[in-house]
Amino acid sequence: MKRQETGSAAGRPRGHSVLASPSARIAVGILAVIAFLTIFGAMLAPQNPLAINAGQLFKGPSAQHLLGTDYLGRDVLSRLMAGTRLSVLTALEAVGIGLVLGTVPGIATVFLGRWFDFAANRVADALMTLPSIFFAVAVTAALGNGLVQAMVPVGILLAPGFFRVTRAATLEHARAQYVEAATLLGASKAHIIRVHVLRKVLPNIAVTTASMTAAALLAVSFLTFLGIGVQPPAPTWGGILSSDLAYLSQAPWAPFIPGLLIAVTVGALNALADAFRDRGSAGTLVLLEPVTEPEGVVDEQRSPAVA
Amino acid sequence: MTAVTLTRTPAVAGPAPRRRRARAAAARVGGGLAVLVPIVFLSTFITYSLGALSNSNPAATILGQDAATPAAVAKLDRTLGLDHPLIVQYWHWLTQAVQGNLGQSWFTQIPVAQSIAQRLPVDLSIASLAVVLAVLIGGTAGMVAAVRRGGWFDRGVTLACSAVSTLPAFVVGIILVVLFAVTVHLLPANGYVGPATSIPQWLKYIILPSLALSLQVAADIARQLRTSLVSVLERNYIVGAKVRGLPYRRVLVRHALRNAAGPALVVLGNDFPQMLAGAVAAEAVFSLPGLGQLLLESAQTRDIPVVQGLLLVISTFVIVVNLIVNTTLNWLYRTDDGLLA
Repeated sequence: MKRQETGSAAGRPRGHSVLASPSARIAVGILAVIAFLTIFGAMLAPQNPLAINAGQLFKGPSAQHLLGTDYLGRDVLSRLMAGTRLSVLTALEAVGIGLVLGTVPGIATVFLGRWFDFAANRVADALMTLPSIFFAVAVTAALGNGLVQAMVPVGILLAPGFFRVTRAATLEHARAQYVEAATLLGASKAHIIRVHVLRKVLPNIAVTTASMTAAALLAVSFLTFLGIGVQPPAPTWGGILSSDLAYLSQAPWAPFIPGLLIAVTVGALNALADAFRDRGSAGTLVLLEPVTEPEGVVDEQRSPAVA
Repeated sequence: MTAVTLTRTPAVAGPAPRRRRARAAAARVGGGLAVLVPIVFLSTFITYSLGALSNSNPAATILGQDAATPAAVAKLDRTLGLDHPLIVQYWHWLTQAVQGNLGQSWFTQIPVAQSIAQRLPVDLSIASLAVVLAVLIGGTAGMVAAVRRGGWFDRGVTLACSAVSTLPAFVVGIILVVLFAVTVHLLPANGYVGPATSIPQWLKYIILPSLALSLQVAADIARQLRTSLVSVLERNYIVGAKVRGLPYRRVLVRHALRNAAGPALVVLGNDFPQMLAGAVAAEAVFSLPGLGQLLLESAQTRDIPVVQGLLLVISTFVIVVNLIVNTTLNWLYRTDDGLLA
């Protein structure tokens, strides 16, 4: 993987902005709207997302209800806007947990010796064998039914992804000649990590964060779709989908609205990840040029999961 | 290197190298197992610890509110072995699990292994049909796209792949229900019939869930296959085969596809273990009586033994399939052909 990317980026000008490509600009625009809705969505909702209107069931989009109404006559647009906060914040909760639990040992493992490295890798492997949704539902059985509880295990299961990416990138930079030079000049490990490693690993972490946020958002949507962690009147993206599914014969178009919202957000996050990746590989290529590529790292990255 | 690939494909080999390779393969499996053992212990320990995390009182739950006197609870704790330290309990649970005993449900007293065995065929059906569909759809799309590179079909495949990769399986499932079950009433929107009752009925019920589950993998396969096939089709030995006057179809399948299939197989191998877990999504949309439903029910009632048993079965499945997939891929691509080295 890595080798191909660096190869494809070879012709590209170095260090251009993440926003250089139009798809990245669109993605950032979409994510800005989602972020805005996360903060203000509940306040700006045109109608009360919980208000039941028995005379207005399953109405299609109209001037009064821009995205129609649901099986209780509630305004779908308002419900989606109000539901954004819970979906996005819990997704970010999981990503935050994964980021901390993954990147810190990912960087540390390179500097702490073989035993720690072996143990950390086995823990990551073990976590990778647990399917995230299954595990999240199982944890709600143990800790009680709540979305915040359910997203902790999702975050823990995102950690191996962060761990592997960070470890591979750190290994690559920690073996570079300038790190060797810095060590010979008497730099401390903390200094090397801070100045020579962390800064160069950041683009890789950014790529992973964007794609992991997409994964976490999907997990939230699916968990709320299953009815994990939310009490019925409260609106969530997945919950709206699930109630739409129950009334398909009355309103077959209804699930497309929340479905599209989820797909667009996830697509924007993936596009952002791609933009980070392009920029990151363009930048690191130049920095890495005088260094002999450690072959072992690339192969290790490539061999899948349990191997 | 090109000449070697032309004259001797990996499948043709003398007996001596075959024996050597068998030994190498055995060594690789052995090495894999050495890494596997700690993984198995860790992942099963995490699974078992869920029960301890839950700070629920199993004895009181089983006895019910009236009968749960402190003396009765203490007695049941002893019979269940709950008065031992966690690690001892874990070891007991694991050794029992290896013998096929996963304990019994706290509420229904039905053995966990029995309820799992009852539901497993549903998910296995969906997952295996999904793999077949993914290979068929993804393989065809990727191959045609590579052959007709730059054409409208190629662009369509690229577009469809990026659209599908943003859609989670459960949303795809809902879209399929709307298209095939609600709008045209072609296929059932939910329910399940076992293959023992009627094979056509069985297929009818699992085709939509399988399709929902397969599309993402199909997109991955199509993308990988297109990329590697495009680069293989430009190699000298393909040109050579064409120059020798071999029929194009034969060149495509015997020469190009065989050498280009590696990355697509790796993608399939990586996605496959997760498919049984992904079947939960399909189950939820199509309300199939599978493992996912069992998990949701037991999570609601906090029936810890069932939850632990389910997690154990699923993660074991993932580990075993991963091992098989990796070994197979290593064996298939043991020669250094520059594709999967």
